Amino acid sequence: MRKWSTKVLAAALGLSLLAGCGGGSGNGNGTGSSNGKGDDAAASQGTAQTASAANGGKKTELTFYYPIAVGGPLTNTIEAMTADFEKEHPDIDVTPVYTGSYADTAVKTQAGVQAKQPPDVAVLQSTELFSLLDMTAIVPLDDFIAKEGNDYLADFYPAFMANSQTDGHTYSIPFQRSTIVLYYNKEMFKEAGLDPEKGPANWEEMQDYAIKLKKDGRHGLEIPVTGFAYWMMQTFALQNGENLMTQDGKKVMFDTPENVEGLQYWVDLAAKHKAMPEGVTDWSTVPSDFLEGKTAMMYHTTGNLTNVKKNATFDFGVSFLPAKKQYGSPTGGGNFYIFKDISPEKQQAAWEFVKFMTEPERAAQWSIDTGYVAVRKSAYETERMKKYAGEFPAALVARDQLEYAAAELSTHNNGKVMKILNDNVQAALTGTLSPAEALKKAQTEADQALASFNK
Amino acid sequence: MPQKYVSKIGHSLMLLLAAIWLVPLIWMTVTAFRSRQTALSGFWSADFTLDNFATVWSAAPFTVYYLNTLLIVFGVFAVQMLTATMAAFAFARVPFAGGGIVFLVFLAQIMIPADVLIFPNYNILKQFSLLDTKLGIMLPYLASSFGIFLLRQVFKTIPLELEEAALMEGCNRWQVLWKVYFPLSRPTYVAFALVSISYQWNNFLWPLIVTNSVENRPLTVGLSIFAQSFEVGVQWTEVSAATLLVIVPLLVIFLAFQRQFIDSFIHSGIK
Repeated sequence: MRKWSTKVLAAALGLSLLAGCGGGSGNGNGTGSSNGKGDDAAASQGTAQTASAANGGKKTELTFYYPIAVGGPLTNTIEAMTADFEKEHPDIDVTPVYTGSYADTAVKTQAGVQAKQPPDVAVLQSTELFSLLDMTAIVPLDDFIAKEGNDYLADFYPAFMANSQTDGHTYSIPFQRSTIVLYYNKEMFKEAGLDPEKGPANWEEMQDYAIKLKKDGRHGLEIPVTGFAYWMMQTFALQNGENLMTQDGKKVMFDTPENVEGLQYWVDLAAKHKAMPEGVTDWSTVPSDFLEGKTAMMYHTTGNLTNVKKNATFDFGVSFLPAKKQYGSPTGGGNFYIFKDISPEKQQAAWEFVKFMTEPERAAQWSIDTGYVAVRKSAYETERMKKYAGEFPAALVARDQLEYAAAELSTHNNGKVMKILNDNVQAALTGTLSPAEALKKAQTEADQALASFNK
Repeated sequence: MPQKYVSKIGHSLMLLLAAIWLVPLIWMTVTAFRSRQTALSGFWSADFTLDNFATVWSAAPFTVYYLNTLLIVFGVFAVQMLTATMAAFAFARVPFAGGGIVFLVFLAQIMIPADVLIFPNYNILKQFSLLDTKLGIMLPYLASSFGIFLLRQVFKTIPLELEEAALMEGCNRWQVLWKVYFPLSRPTYVAFALVSISYQWNNFLWPLIVTNSVENRPLTVGLSIFAQSFEVGVQWTEVSAATLLVIVPLLVIFLAFQRQFIDSFIHSGIK
């Protein structure tokens, strides 16, 4: 979304002109449609709004923006879920609005926030936290969470909460979340004389396996790059040391010796050992390559699990990513946010909705339908999840890896910082820069992009 | 003769370009009818399935989307034709104070990409209470500076004598515009129609942002459900089927207008 930032600047010019004439009429709108709990509404004005509240229209209306990132007819699933919610809460009316990709959803949300007509609740990337805070678009959820009791948050996996929290506040609730895992073709493992029940445990083994598995017309391993180089870079950083940024989103640590070592390892797999395609591998073709046997192993999101399960014509395994000093993977995916310029009644209703959508049974079903990792521990205690995992143990691998998982790269000015890292990692992979040069350049540029937040 | 060779090379280059242009189209059409497993195997196989279309059709209300797209595309073009013709006539043939500067301002607007205007336009629509309406989608495009520019250039080439003759015959200016300038510029209108219609047909982000309800959304939104599946990678068969569904009407229009295009050139050439 932040690739929009320059355009937004230009647009801001136009906006400031509008603000002059639109200010007066804009105010009423955020709260205007609230249906008041009778008494305060009656106290304030006796006009149209109270009239609608009086004639029994006590329904709180919510607009819910959601992106779809796994493809296919999931809009129907989401609509069914909201219909179930309305059955359980007859006083709340939810309008689910499909909003394209995560990036499109972010732009749409931003337009709404600027026009003082935000959605009431939305699923946006967990990494949007700081941009949403910089727009003062969202509310902290601490009060709602406190009412649910102390154990409420403890049931969510800490790795998924990592992108939700800053400065001691919680701003979002995980919904469709993933991590990166290793998918491997068991038949090719057997053919190469490797143990098909285990993936490679560490970097040395991985390199060894990848070299053994490659042959004409087949790569040993594919790691997708386009658009997600920063995400893949995080796996190496986490396995070899620390995450790439601080929890407050104001500093990044790109050019550490550990990261240089990690990137060097990644570059060598292709350039030196020829076990991976050289240069930049496309994110979206890696799964097709794996399914067609053009690669024996791949790094990809758990969001792909259902797809691979449905379409693989061979026996495949899923395992942790290989470790260096430790196991590690960043998380990814989308969280629920509740917006600011709406009435408290709507916020309360939005919280009910968020709670409903992430209930253990529903989280389990959503995980089974999509391949995302269920966000709560208790979801794995449900009957349907136990049954599913019994038939398909691979579904548990991503969950087990969560113990070693950490936050996805998320900072202020996130789009810019992400792009800087993406570009420079790609430069290293194509051989334009050495890994050390690339990360040093990324660090310098990112420091500049974050300078205004560190005053 | 060197000239003969030049034209031969030119022809074969054009054929090559046409072939390159055709490859993705053919590939997509073939993939749309193949099953998922064989889609990327690379061999021509006899298997044929309509499953992809069934999946795609059931995933989104495409009938509504079709009607909306048609309404938006042709609605926008109809109004654009009216506004652009009148403005172009004013710029070409009606001298008025500051005309040059105003025209420059219009030209400058061609250089501003529509995406930059999403936020301010959204704000204006909100103040007009036009969010989530088809009119809201169309409103920012009802006047086209590109169309005005194009038509002004053509109007300028039309001999003044024709206008004078028409005035002598008792036409007023309004009639001169629609009975002399409009019919004589037909090829330009066709060209502009191609640009405008294909732009509106493909427009995705703006309609997505200003609308919330299915009743007001165009085809591209339905397509995006399949095209934007970054978590799983591309589902080639379904994307192909969805794309085919979306572009077929446009292709038909395109081919129909292509003939029209050539015809109108010949027509004006004879005169």
